[in-house]
Amino acid sequence: MKDKLSRIATSTAADYADIRYEKNHKTRISYRGRALSEVASYETFGGHTRAYAGGGKAVATFSGANRAETMAAAVAASARIAARHRDKPLRIAPAPVLISAFPIVSDSHPSAVSMEEKLALAAHYNDLILAEPLVATTETDYDEFVSHRVFVNSEGSVIEYDVVIANIVGRIVTKKGDVVQRIRFAFGGNEHFDRLIGREEDLRRLIDVACRLVEAQPARSGRYPVILDPSEAGLFVHEAFGHLSESDSLQNNPSFRARLNLGDDVGQPILNVSDDPTRNGLPGSYPIDDEGVRAVRTPLITEGRLTGRLHSRETASEFGEPLTGNMRAVDAQYTPIVRMSNILIEQGQSTFDELVSSIDDGYYLVGAKGGQTSGDQFTFGAQWGFRIEGGQLGPMVRDINMSGELFSTLKAISMVGDDVAFGERGGCGKGSPMQLNRMSGKGAPHIRIDDVTIGGIA
Amino acid sequence: MNPLIDRARSYVDQAELYWTRQHDISVSYEDSRLQSINESDTSSLALRVIDRGRLGATYGIAPDRDRLVNEAKQAAAHGDPAPFSFAPEARYPEVANYSDRAARLSSEDVVALCEAVRTRILAKRPDASLRVEAGTAARHLDIETTQGAAATHRSSEMYIWFGAPFKGAGIGVYKVAAGVTPLNPPDDLVDEFVRWYGWGEATSTPRTGRLPVVFAPNAASLYLLPLWAGLDGDAVDKGTSPLIGRVGEAILSPLLTVVDDPLRADDPEARPFDDEAIPCQRRPLIHRGSLTGFLFDLRTAALQGTASTGNAVKRALFGGGTETAPAPWPMSLVVEPGDSSFDEMVADLDEGLVLLGGLGFHSGNYPQGQFSVQAVGFHVQGGRVVGRLENTMVSADIYTDLANVRAVSREQRRSFGMLGALAPYVLVDGLQVTGR
Repeated sequence: MKDKLSRIATSTAADYADIRYEKNHKTRISYRGRALSEVASYETFGGHTRAYAGGGKAVATFSGANRAETMAAAVAASARIAARHRDKPLRIAPAPVLISAFPIVSDSHPSAVSMEEKLALAAHYNDLILAEPLVATTETDYDEFVSHRVFVNSEGSVIEYDVVIANIVGRIVTKKGDVVQRIRFAFGGNEHFDRLIGREEDLRRLIDVACRLVEAQPARSGRYPVILDPSEAGLFVHEAFGHLSESDSLQNNPSFRARLNLGDDVGQPILNVSDDPTRNGLPGSYPIDDEGVRAVRTPLITEGRLTGRLHSRETASEFGEPLTGNMRAVDAQYTPIVRMSNILIEQGQSTFDELVSSIDDGYYLVGAKGGQTSGDQFTFGAQWGFRIEGGQLGPMVRDINMSGELFSTLKAISMVGDDVAFGERGGCGKGSPMQLNRMSGKGAPHIRIDDVTIGGIA
Repeated sequence: MNPLIDRARSYVDQAELYWTRQHDISVSYEDSRLQSINESDTSSLALRVIDRGRLGATYGIAPDRDRLVNEAKQAAAHGDPAPFSFAPEARYPEVANYSDRAARLSSEDVVALCEAVRTRILAKRPDASLRVEAGTAARHLDIETTQGAAATHRSSEMYIWFGAPFKGAGIGVYKVAAGVTPLNPPDDLVDEFVRWYGWGEATSTPRTGRLPVVFAPNAASLYLLPLWAGLDGDAVDKGTSPLIGRVGEAILSPLLTVVDDPLRADDPEARPFDDEAIPCQRRPLIHRGSLTGFLFDLRTAALQGTASTGNAVKRALFGGGTETAPAPWPMSLVVEPGDSSFDEMVADLDEGLVLLGGLGFHSGNYPQGQFSVQAVGFHVQGGRVVGRLENTMVSADIYTDLANVRAVSREQRRSFGMLGALAPYVLVDGLQVTGR
C-alpha cells in the first residue's frame, strides 16, 4: 500500500503533493447513570491528499484507498484553479525527506486489553460515583483511539506512525433542590492502559467536590485578582495565548501579526511558556506530525519575551521561521492544521501560600471547564472555586466563567508557582469543519492574574 | 433491501443500518485571498443490533462489511438490555430539498460566487481583511431496519459564509446564506455586513448592571441551547432537566414561540425522517411562552413510556456524524417572527447591547438554563450604536430573564454555529452585564 501511494504522490502533476492513509480503530463504552448506554467498536479507513501547484493549494478527503489516485489528480487540478485567483503564491518550507517508522510500543497497550476488562473498569468507576446519595446521574466513558497512519509525499518521504490514546472520562452530576452541578474527571491520556487503573482516590476527591458544590453560592460578577490552579492555568495559556501562537491563526490576520513580533515583550520576566511534543506520556506527545515533519520543543515565551511560534511548512515559509512539527489532523476525514502539542507555563518560584496571601479580595479558581478564544478575546470556565478574603481561602463558589483580553492579561500574570501539573485529557476544537482534538496537552503551575472579568447572574 | 440487513437477520434479533454518502466542494478565502479548494467524497456505515435483547453498535468508513455484523454482535454481547425496538415500516412526509443543479456545481462555480461577494464588499470596504467560505454538498442517506423501515432521502446545499474581523480585533461581523439550489450573491447581506462592520470601528464598554439586550438571530443559540438541554428527553429521564413536570406552564415570554420544523422544502437541513428512521414532524416546542413538549428518540421515549418524537440525531454538543450514537436534538428550529423591527429595537434603547454571539458558552451551567459569556456585539446609547463591545460579559437564566421579552422582529435570519435556527431579533428587558 505505501509503495503504491508513494508512486501516486511522486507522479502527481503538482509542485508538491502528499497522501495520508489511515486505519483507525475506536472503542467506546458509555454509562449514563446506571444504564450502559453504548458499547461500540469501530474500524475506519480513509485518506487525505493535498497539493500545491503554481502557488495555489487544494485538499481532498476520500474513503477507499482505490480512490487515492483519482483524488490526488483532482486536487492537483484544483490547486491550479486556486492559483489563478491568488496574487501572492503559497509556498512551503523545505523539510528533510524521511523514510522511517514510528510505532508505539507500550507494556499495557489498550489494544491488548479485553473488552471485558475495559467494561469492568468503566463500571467500577461508575458504581463508585453512583454510591453517593447526592449524585443525580453520571456520564462515564471509556474512550480509545488506535490509529495506524501512512504518510507519503512527492519529495520521497514514506513514513509509518501510530497514534494511540485511551481515557476514562466523564461527569459527576449532583443535585440538591434546584441546584444541579457537574464535575469532570479524566484519567489516562496516553498509550498506557495501566494509567487508568487504581484511580479510586482521585475519583473520590472529585465526588466529594461535586457533593459540596451543590451547597456553594454562585461567584459574584465583577473584576478581580485570581489564583488559577494548574488545570485552570493550563487552560488559560492554551486559550488565551496558545491559539495565537498557532501561525495559521496569524498568517492571514495582518493586525495581529503586526502585534506579535518575535522579541516583543508580552509578559513579565517571570513568565516562560513552551510547546513540547517530545515529553513522554502526555496527551499531546508525538514524534512526527501529519505533514511528515519531526516534532520539536518550541520556546514560545522566554522571560516575558515572544521567542517562537508553531508552524506548518506553509506558515514556516510565510514567516521565514523554523519548522516545529505542529500540523495535526484528528483523523483522515480532516486536513491537518497547526495545533499546540503540550503547552506549558514553566515552573516559577512562588509557593501556594504566597499566592493566596497576596490577594485581599478575589478568587481561587480550580479545574478546567472548557474555554473559547477569538483573536485576542478569551473566555474560560472553572469547575469550582473559593473566595479569597484578606489573604485567606474562604467558602467554595460555583458557576464561574471569566473573560479577558490576551495582551493585557498576559502582562497581568504577576506570580508563577513552584508546582507544575499536566492534565490527563486534551480537548480543543479548531478549524472549519471543527476538529475536536483530544491529543492536546496543557500544563502549568499555580499562577496569579491581577485582573480578570468574572461573569455571573449573582 | 441492503444485503447487510439481510445478512444481519440471520445473526441477530434486530438490526438497523445507517448508510450515508456525501460529496462536498468548498472554497475558503483568508485576508481577501483564495486560500484553499477542498473536496470530500466519503461514504460511511453505522450498524446497530439488538441481540438477545441487548444493544450493540459498530461503524465504518469503507469498512470490511463482513466484519460489521460480527463486531456489532460482539458489542451487543456486552450491552445493556435495549428498552426499544428499531423503527418499523412507515410512510414518510415529502421533503423535496434536492437540486441536481446544486449537486453538479464545480469548484469553479463556487469560486465565482466567492469572487462576486469579495468584489462587492471590497468595492465598499477595501480595508476589510475578508474571510469567505462557500461550498456545495450533495448528501444521500439510507436507513433500513429488520423491523421493516426503509427510509431514503437525498438533499443538496449551497452556502456562503463571509465577514471580516474588526481592525485590530479577533472578533468581527459574519453573515451566512444557504439554500437548496445554486445561490446568487446575497446583496442584502453584503449591505448589512458593510453597515455593521462600520459600527464596529469604535470600541465601547457598557456600565455594569442590568441592561436591555437585543439578541441578533445568530445569538439565538445562547437561549436555544439551554432550552434544548431542558427539552432533552435524556435529561428528563435522568431527572436533571429544570423543565420536568412543567408542560403547559409559561416558561418564557408569551411573545416567544419556538417550533421544530424539519419539513421546510427550502431548508437544506430539512428531512423526512430522523437518524432512527422515525418520520419527522412539524412540532411546536414553546407556544406563546408555554412548554408544549419534550424531544425523544427511541431509547428515551421507551424509558419514559412514550413515543419517539422523531428527534434522534447523530450529534453531540461538539461534533457528531455517523459514529455518534443518536440522541434527542431539535431537527430544525424556527423562532416565530413578531411585529417589531431591528431598527425600532435599537432606536428604543437608552442604553443596551446588541448581541451577535458570545464566547465561552459551553463552560457555563447551560443544562440548568444559564449562560455567562463574553459578549460579542454592539453597545447602544441614546438609540444608536456607539461601537463594538469590549471587556463585557453578559449572563442570564433564560427561564427568569426571557420571561421579559419586550419585542420580537418581523425579520428572520438563518443563524449558524452550535445550534442553527431561523430566528428573529429578540429584545429582552434586562440581563446582567459586567462591563465598566
